[in-house]
Amino acid sequence: MSEEKRRQTKKLELKITTPRGEKFIEDADMVIMRCIDGNLGVLPGHEPIVAALGDGTLRIINGDAEEKLALFGGVVEVKDDTVRIYSTIAQRLEEIDLERAKADLEAARAAIQEIKDEMQFQNIRALMYRSIVRLEVGLHMEDTSYFDDDSNDEANDS
Amino acid sequence: MSSTRGIKQRIDNVRSVEQIIRAMDMVASTKLVRSRAQLEGVRPIYTELKRISEEVGTLEEAKSNAFYKTREVKNTLYIVISGNRGLAGAYNANVCRKALEHMDGTKNERLVIIGSKGYEYFNRNKKNIVHSIVDISDDQVYYASEDISKKAMELYLAREVEEVYIVYTQFVNVLTNEPVVEKFLPIESSLAPSDVLEKRYEPDLESFIDNLIPLYLHMYLFRAFSESHTSEHAARMVNMDAAGKNASEILEDLNRQYNRKRQASITQELTEIVGSVSVLNKGGADERK
Repeated sequence: MSEEKRRQTKKLELKITTPRGEKFIEDADMVIMRCIDGNLGVLPGHEPIVAALGDGTLRIINGDAEEKLALFGGVVEVKDDTVRIYSTIAQRLEEIDLERAKADLEAARAAIQEIKDEMQFQNIRALMYRSIVRLEVGLHMEDTSYFDDDSNDEANDS
Repeated sequence: MSSTRGIKQRIDNVRSVEQIIRAMDMVASTKLVRSRAQLEGVRPIYTELKRISEEVGTLEEAKSNAFYKTREVKNTLYIVISGNRGLAGAYNANVCRKALEHMDGTKNERLVIIGSKGYEYFNRNKKNIVHSIVDISDDQVYYASEDISKKAMELYLAREVEEVYIVYTQFVNVLTNEPVVEKFLPIESSLAPSDVLEKRYEPDLESFIDNLIPLYLHMYLFRAFSESHTSEHAARMVNMDAAGKNASEILEDLNRQYNRKRQASITQELTEIVGSVSVLNKGGADERK
């Protein structure tokens, strides 16, 4: 009960740090991010955890509002109701070049047909995946079939 | 001393050099502003990642990981970051000397040199340069540092080198910068295990380390680059400022000399005129007789 109450009153503090400095600091009710092995949802009162992030969408849920960010790789640290994300790229909706993402996706799709080298395949796949994430965030698309999104599974065990 | 024409010529020379100096000063100060902003941006993520990496290093399970494990040292890799251009005072010489001092010759040294000034220096000192990069433009630094950190990591993981040092210039403020040698790999932890809060690592420690360390090393190198660039521009700006002042002093001196010369010749001409007039006057007096 007291746990429940704490959750309702408390908010998470979200800090994203990129090589261009502290990108933004915001309060949120819940943060859902993509880790390398699945999604991680964080509510206030979460246990201390550090995790490696994969390429994917970061969802920031605040009241009824939800904001999405494209996040590529990095590390997240959760401690004392603060979520600190260290990543090389974090893009907001307005920072995403949709045309370029589309072009990248097309190029990757075309290139992936004629690749034999494993290394190259990895690179192309990463590019493809990143452009899909950018498109998803950029177009406000709901989770597509590219994501087997079952986002709340981790959030509940906090 | 010299003729008026000679002085005039020197004044022109100094003046044109001064203009170049002023231009370089201005270029360096704009570049300083930009690279300083870049440096301020990368410092926070670097310090935080460093902290996380060191926290991981205190864990018992991490000690056997390749990135943390210390091995007997036979081969050492040095990454030296220097500038491509001179006219920055002792900036290049300082960082190169620092690196050279650190190499005691007991180990097999391999060098990765960034910047042509460093390349010339270590080539003269007959060091084993395995790789040199002299053509990175300012906006390519981010990707270049990723490449170099990857390369260093590959060499390290392939057990070709047992440790990696990085030599760069730490930016303190515009007037002070300091060349430093730091250990890049293996990662050493300065934290005591008791300082570290216990926490869970996702998905497991091994894969977390594999994801963390490349990012950390990339940011490390990128920061070292930014520190060095900022120091270089600051050093150049300070030196060009001093050179500009010297140039104006010389100009002032030369102008004074020139004016004195000119005045002397005018005085001489006047004396000559007065002298000849008095001679003529004497003749006039003769006529009156």
